[in-house]
Amino acid sequence: MSARRVALAVGAPAALLLLLGLLWSWTASANPSVLPPLASLPAELAARPDFYVRNLGHTLVSALSGFGIGVGAALLLAIAVVHAPVLRSAVLPVALLLNVTPVVAIAPALVVAFGFTQVPNIVVAALTAFFPMLINALAGFRNVDRGSLEVFRSMAASRTDVFLRLRLPSSLRYLFAGARLSASAAMVGAIVSEFTGSTRGLGATIVTATTYLNLPQMWVAILVSALVSLALLGLIGLVERIVVRW
Amino acid sequence: MSEAVVLRGIGRTFAGRRPIAALDGIDLTVRAGEFVTLFGPSGSGKSTLLRIIAGLERADAGTVQVLGGPPREAARRKDIGWVPQNAALLPWARVRTNAGLSALVNRRADRSSHPQRVPQDVDGILAEVGLADFADARPGQLSGGMQQRAALARVFVQGAPLLLMDEPFSALDEITRSSVRLQLLDLWERHRKTVVFVTHSAEEAALLSDRVIVLSPRPGRITAEIEVPIPRPRADCAADSDAVRAVEREITAALRAGASG
Repeated sequence: MSARRVALAVGAPAALLLLLGLLWSWTASANPSVLPPLASLPAELAARPDFYVRNLGHTLVSALSGFGIGVGAALLLAIAVVHAPVLRSAVLPVALLLNVTPVVAIAPALVVAFGFTQVPNIVVAALTAFFPMLINALAGFRNVDRGSLEVFRSMAASRTDVFLRLRLPSSLRYLFAGARLSASAAMVGAIVSEFTGSTRGLGATIVTATTYLNLPQMWVAILVSALVSLALLGLIGLVERIVVRW
Repeated sequence: MSEAVVLRGIGRTFAGRRPIAALDGIDLTVRAGEFVTLFGPSGSGKSTLLRIIAGLERADAGTVQVLGGPPREAARRKDIGWVPQNAALLPWARVRTNAGLSALVNRRADRSSHPQRVPQDVDGILAEVGLADFADARPGQLSGGMQQRAALARVFVQGAPLLLMDEPFSALDEITRSSVRLQLLDLWERHRKTVVFVTHSAEEAALLSDRVIVLSPRPGRITAEIEVPIPRPRADCAADSDAVRAVEREITAALRAGASG
């Protein structure tokens, strides 16, 4: 990468962040009930790091468990649909219905069903992670080079051969794109579900802070969740770069 | 066995609001070890006929015998080598893995004895097609001509007695095309497989084939069978030699006669 490109890649976001920081400071001084002073955020985080680590841990357990369950279920279903296309017309409308049902509406219903445990958080995270991966996996598994498929068929390759040696590797870019979308969705799902019926996690932290108008706590929780989501996306991108090397 | 492919009364119509008849009453016998080219205008059903022989598509009418049985049985024994229009290499696999693909799939076929199929050494064939130094490269690192050579290596490693090639050089530029064509001639003369080859190029048909089957426009029917009298080996035979030009003219004339008749 040339020096100019590096300067652009680092400089442009830095300039934007600086601009946002100035805008934040101006808004905070003009109207303190909307935004806290920018300097109060690191002070808040430094004052109670254990509190944020504990709540972030709770949210991460929900989000990552939900991500694993949702992505796993989506992959299994996509594999089943690719091998039995008749399932497609049965499965897709139900999946679509799940996707359009607002998470905020599901969360209280799950609290009623599972009580004040972490299970509703995990279920909501799984539901939100499910659909992006399903759609990407279906597209990836079906988007196979026709010539390669004919070569496999001309050798009477088994379905397992076709899947493991052709469909799966050729769909990896789709699967990683789906994983990125599902990871963000799982974080959002976990946090939103913590808004109701949870006393722990970043979602509950945000709700509590809102109730007591503790703006520094609210914004630290929001920024921590955003940064952790960003880190998850970076991690998936890194794994993709290691795995997809062609 | 002297007959590798026997087609009798083959017909194929594609269903739809307006059904399209692609092939009608095709009778063709390809002898073992023969290089036969299917030649015809676009829409004459050449590729459809090739796909029917490979068992990738079913005929609506007629019977197909490939190596003494239905095409799918031959495919189950991995006795059919298929070369599609694009090289169809697996981009994530190295050239050596792509060339040796047949050993990785349908391994049940390898466990029983198949006197007709003789798998070849991957590195040996890669050396024959000039890719020995690129065995560890990925397809994305190869030129179009090298990719097509790797695709040829794949079917020759498979060692299938019947090779079906669907316009394999159509995406290549003229210079690369002529070089890969010579590579195929060289490989064929060394390994002597039965080949059914589809092309749009009369020059290619004349240079490669023992016999050229000319098909009419839709629905495809056989309008001429032209024996190519050019002696083999032809690797040194110039594409613009008088003998090749004479056969090329005969093929083109048969194509025109078929189209107008």
